[in-house]
Amino acid sequence: MTTLGFIAKNALRNKRRAILSVGSVAASLFLFIILQVGVRELTLPVEDVGSASRVIARNRISLGQLLPAKQKPTIERIPGVEVVSPFTWFGGKFRGEEVMFAQFAVDPDAFLKISVDAHIPAEQAQAFTADRRACIVGKDTAAKYKLKVGDRMMIEGTYWPFDLELHVAGIYSGTPDDRNIFFNHKYLDEASGGGGQVGTWWIKVRSPEEVGPVTSAIDKAFMNTSAEVRAETERAFQLGFISMWGNIKTLISAISSVVVFTLILVSASTMSMAIRERFRELAVLKALGFRRRELFGFILAESFGLSALGAMLGVGGCWALLTFVPATTLTGNFFPTLEVTPRMLGLGSLVAAALGIISSLAPAISVARMSVVEGLKTLD
Amino acid sequence: MDTIAAPAVGHPLASSASSEIVVAVRDLSKIYRQGEINVTALNNISLDIHKAEFLTLMGPSGSGKSTLLHIIAGIDRPTKGECHVQGVDVTRLNESQLADWRNQNVGFVFQTFNLIPVLTAFENVELPLLLTKLPSRRRKEQVKVALDLVGLSARGHHLPKQLSGGQEQRVAIARALVTDPSLIVADEPTGNLDSVSANEVLGILQALCRDAGKTVIMVTHDPKAAAFGTRSIHLEKGELVE
Repeated sequence: MTTLGFIAKNALRNKRRAILSVGSVAASLFLFIILQVGVRELTLPVEDVGSASRVIARNRISLGQLLPAKQKPTIERIPGVEVVSPFTWFGGKFRGEEVMFAQFAVDPDAFLKISVDAHIPAEQAQAFTADRRACIVGKDTAAKYKLKVGDRMMIEGTYWPFDLELHVAGIYSGTPDDRNIFFNHKYLDEASGGGGQVGTWWIKVRSPEEVGPVTSAIDKAFMNTSAEVRAETERAFQLGFISMWGNIKTLISAISSVVVFTLILVSASTMSMAIRERFRELAVLKALGFRRRELFGFILAESFGLSALGAMLGVGGCWALLTFVPATTLTGNFFPTLEVTPRMLGLGSLVAAALGIISSLAPAISVARMSVVEGLKTLD
Repeated sequence: MDTIAAPAVGHPLASSASSEIVVAVRDLSKIYRQGEINVTALNNISLDIHKAEFLTLMGPSGSGKSTLLHIIAGIDRPTKGECHVQGVDVTRLNESQLADWRNQNVGFVFQTFNLIPVLTAFENVELPLLLTKLPSRRRKEQVKVALDLVGLSARGHHLPKQLSGGQEQRVAIARALVTDPSLIVADEPTGNLDSVSANEVLGILQALCRDAGKTVIMVTHDPKAAAFGTRSIHLEKGELVE
């Protein structure tokens, strides 16, 4: 017999309780990691190779306030600016239902120069630029709705008071979020009765080093006008969106804390009960010559072992689920990058380790305080 | 470590088993506090126990015999007095030293056997050896010898619940023996056994004393059990009586 074998036999002496303990740790850590994945999914800024040299300019008052289209030449004249495209959110329904993909009106020629990550066949790109009613569809959305080049798409306006009748000119891929649809801004201008307004400006800057001066120059260019703008990097713009999730993030963090706290209470109670039942045996071990630190080691190892097993099942199970099961597809691509990161694996392991240690403290202290005679008497 | 003085020649409690004193108790008192009341469990006890002696401690419940046994075995502490076991004053050892000392010098046999239910008989006997630095092969050899001595070498793979009460107590004796201690303390070891099993267990303890030179101290209520000993002493209200 080895010391480890002795600990394992003690830990598994009540198999039902051991299985339930491991199960509760596994389920809680699974939930904990899923919540972490959710928070990350909601707060992860989309980054791609071109984002470092892209700038978005929006109305300084709020994102909901439109900008005058006549700002474009002023922006184009700013040193360092390479290409400018309007970038206006449409927000419609497709096939009568709310959809997980966004529709943006852009300048097709400028878009293809700015969105350097989007891979699209040349003939499809040409078709997109040639026709005002053409659109390009991200491959995820195309796959979901079984769309192919040449298909018609009726987008029902919910924010804008009209519908769009688009035809699919191309299918793109390679961006961090291949769900969106892009169509010609001129079509939006026509449909809205003359246009003259855009949601935001999407700007490609010559080099990442020039992004700072360009954003400052854009802000200055429209200072004290009726439509002041706030220009910022694409990443900063996305982080601005993320800040809107602030409360949800706090809520999820609070739920995660409650999960961990409850788990500690349950585990500590289970360990205390398990040790309380063995007080006489522990008194006998003391009589045989086992010291406090050895008994503490047994209790700690037992508690730690059960937590570790729970963590392997819970955290490992979550990782396996999101790695080997197409979870992104199962969520209808609502969550495009579901993944358990090494940081989350580390955090889950850390929680499990803390759980093992904290759960063993109270029973270990009571065993340390117990005299052999009292231990034998109490349970005789 | 303290050493004890030579035993007083002609001491009324001196044994004829051997001239070497293994246990020397001097002016030992133990007072428990129960709420507002002080309860005297032992009152100025002095006692010598010799090597290879089979001493039985008798007396009514509450007379202090178990308390005396516990102090000699190093699992309880006196309020005052000294208790030298093989030259070591166990009352002066700290917790950690006492644990080491017990592992090397004392074998315990309890009334309720106190085997670990999830371990086999073999593993129960091996348990005290986990604290030693003996290699696994050597540990196994010693366990086999101990189980052989109590006639249970064929039952090593059995769990305690698969053994009779007498067999469980014999496993407990093997566990007490396995570290080859000089002192074996038994607290009513036959209290939960039928007469046949009790006689077997007492016979083993007697043989350990007679053949292996172990010093055995046994607490019992049973005069028949006490008859197996080489000397019997009585306690009443915490004091030795003739």
